[in-house]
Amino acid sequence: MADPFVEVQNVWKRFGRQWVLRDLSLAVERGEVVALLGPNGVGKTTLLRVIATLIRPQRGTVRLFGKPARALEAERGRIALVANPPAFYRHLSGEENLEQALALAGRPIARAEALEAMARVGLPEGRAVAAYSSGMRKRLALARTLLARPQLLLLDEPETALDAGGREELVRVIGEVAREGAVVLATHDHGFASEVATRSFAMGAQA
Amino acid sequence: MRALVLALRDLRLEWRGRAGLLSAFSFIAVVLFIMGIAFGPDEANLRRAGPGVLWVALAFAGSMLASRAWALEVENETLDDLLLTPGSREWIYVGKLLFLWLLMIVMGAFLLVLVAAWFYLPLAAWPQLFVTLVLGGTGYTVIAAFYAGLTVRLRARDVLLYLLVFPMILPVVLAAVKATLGIAFGAEFAEIVSWWKLLGVFDVVYLTLCVLLFPGVIEG
Repeated sequence: MADPFVEVQNVWKRFGRQWVLRDLSLAVERGEVVALLGPNGVGKTTLLRVIATLIRPQRGTVRLFGKPARALEAERGRIALVANPPAFYRHLSGEENLEQALALAGRPIARAEALEAMARVGLPEGRAVAAYSSGMRKRLALARTLLARPQLLLLDEPETALDAGGREELVRVIGEVAREGAVVLATHDHGFASEVATRSFAMGAQA
Repeated sequence: MRALVLALRDLRLEWRGRAGLLSAFSFIAVVLFIMGIAFGPDEANLRRAGPGVLWVALAFAGSMLASRAWALEVENETLDDLLLTPGSREWIYVGKLLFLWLLMIVMGAFLLVLVAAWFYLPLAAWPQLFVTLVLGGTGYTVIAAFYAGLTVRLRARDVLLYLLVFPMILPVVLAAVKATLGIAFGAEFAEIVSWWKLLGVFDVVYLTLCVLLFPGVIEG
């Protein structure tokens, strides 16, 4: 049997004296869309960052694509984390942000590709991200995901600030990634979770 | 290659925002003005103080720029995206170092002209002054870029940066001031070269150490 795409085993993580994750275990198989549900402060974002290898838990192990997370240097490009709100350089335009992100990931793209991805998510060209609304930033994050083609997509409250069209595009992107990989998303919206997720994972219940 | 992309992008961001550059250049102008009044108007005093003023102003303004190099990621909340790029993370340090180094050299050249005008530094010896600037500026930026990266996630990063960087760069500042003094007062070329050699050794040793240590220190 193949290894799970994501395997979090008995993870403990604390900030200062406050334990945020306590003995948490989760496995995500290829093709799954797992929604992390739970109240504020329960550790959904922390879990996403632990899976993304951005923070190291005090105890427990994280394996991605069948390998220990710490041995994934060369394959970090297979992971995409979209924070809430998504992070972009405010003084660069949307297309410049996309070009820079892909160039730094070692996969440079032409301006036309960036503009095509932006057009798909309904964003105008030539405008600095500083002038974007929250929803437009979310759309730009979708465009970046389309271009990066990650195998593991981690989304933190992706549905917030999106209008109906943006939400439809988000659902499409999640579906596209899940065909070849897996998606883990944190949300408060049970309706959205039941719409896109193949499985929900209630946090707070394990502690 | 990715380091160069990162450095060029940071330059573009800095150019569009201009906050760091404007602060650093304003700071330099104020320091020179105050030091000029404090040591002047006697020419001999100004001539003797010039090299020290040059490197102290450059060191403080350099710390501001080093902090700025990483603050770009904090302000835009993009540090995670950088850390999620594939491969080992030395290139992030090298990119930030390159960005800072380019700004330091431009700022240093600007400062050299101002110090020459105000503190009687002999611009006729500009090739030697420039070599000193490059060697001293490299040593300084290697350390400053490293510690600015180390403290980037901390709330008190600006204060800590000065406390961490200045003890480490004392040998650089000392050697650079001695070399500049030698140039200003027409010392033997061999003496100036001996200070350059010290700066060169410092640059190589610290660059090697910082590149090797950086991936470990930047992890969350």
